Amino acid sequence: MNKLKVAIALGSTCSGCDVAILDLNEKILNLVEVADIVYWPTAMDFKIKDLEAFKSGDIDVGIYHGTVRTSTHEHTAHLLRERSKAVLSFGACAYFGGIPGLCNLSTKNEVFRTVYQDTASTVNPDFVTPQTEVKVGKFDLTLPELKDEGKALRDVIDVDYYLPGCPPTVMLREKLIPILKLVQGGELPPKGTVIASDKTLCDECEMKKENKSISKIVRTHEMIPTPGICLLEQGLICMGPATRGGCGTPCIKALVPCRGCMGPTAEVKDQGAKMISAIASILGVSEEKDLSAEDVAKLIDGIKDPVGTFYRFTLPVALINKKVGVK
Amino acid sequence: MKKVTIDPITRLEGEAKIDIFLNDEGDVADAFFQVTELRGFEKFCQGRPVEELPRIVPRICGV
Repeated sequence: MNKLKVAIALGSTCSGCDVAILDLNEKILNLVEVADIVYWPTAMDFKIKDLEAFKSGDIDVGIYHGTVRTSTHEHTAHLLRERSKAVLSFGACAYFGGIPGLCNLSTKNEVFRTVYQDTASTVNPDFVTPQTEVKVGKFDLTLPELKDEGKALRDVIDVDYYLPGCPPTVMLREKLIPILKLVQGGELPPKGTVIASDKTLCDECEMKKENKSISKIVRTHEMIPTPGICLLEQGLICMGPATRGGCGTPCIKALVPCRGCMGPTAEVKDQGAKMISAIASILGVSEEKDLSAEDVAKLIDGIKDPVGTFYRFTLPVALINKKVGVK
Repeated sequence: MKKVTIDPITRLEGEAKIDIFLNDEGDVADAFFQVTELRGFEKFCQGRPVEELPRIVPRICGV
């Protein structure tokens, strides 16, 4: 059987997804059994010209990780789509925008202002910011354009398959190899397949759930959670009810509440809204009749950073997904 | 003037390129290392609760 040609391209990323692929450890041998890596700049010396050199459909599976933020990322994404038979969106950034997608909380100009002027270690009295074209002495230099917003891959190109997580945990990554074997045999999974569970994280979480009401929100540094008991019931915001399962709950097993890097389940459009709904149905519910409007406001004030908590990984695909600047 | 471009620089986290300009003799006239992206952690870490930052800033570099 012919080996698959697999390309791994990237956008705005920490490259933790590249490391996640390498972290297959000895199972990477199973990967190279079915696939030849024909493009992977993080791990090998490939240039964008190498990706450009492929003909349409030359690549069997194009894997893309990272948020789409610059003109280069857009070019890479379109190129990968055109050259690949199937495109797999790998990790939270490509799927939902991820943590770099939190850039959508500010306008580009506000980001430039902070990064290139206001930060304590910056000395830049003329407020010089990156330009797409600049002349330095007699030399013409160019940079990619930084876009006004970070985007999920599927909002830029047509995507066939998804593998969520930040980074995808080992039990998810290992599922990739049998799927590639199917593709090698000409058996493509249905378009839109998400390589993860279809249920919520709470469905697979082993913590004991008993109370349907919590009396207040507790911040993570304010308590040492009791092992074995649902973290949300202990007052910690845990994104489990609004998050897709399949990761194996490594954070929760370490008593660290979920932040939702697997994104929502298929039937949920907006992960943050789902979580707000989940919190609203348990916070202060048992004593609800005795609470004044002021008490309720105080309870809600216990949530210190709603947007950064509920939309930690999914802001660019949320219903309200970016700050629009005042001209 | 001839220009040699290395784009992207590989086997690292982050994105950058190098432009090397050669003079008529073929010697290096000047070379520029350019960082080609910005994510802006400096901005979006503002407003996040401090106890959450250990779960945000590891995504600066995951290598």
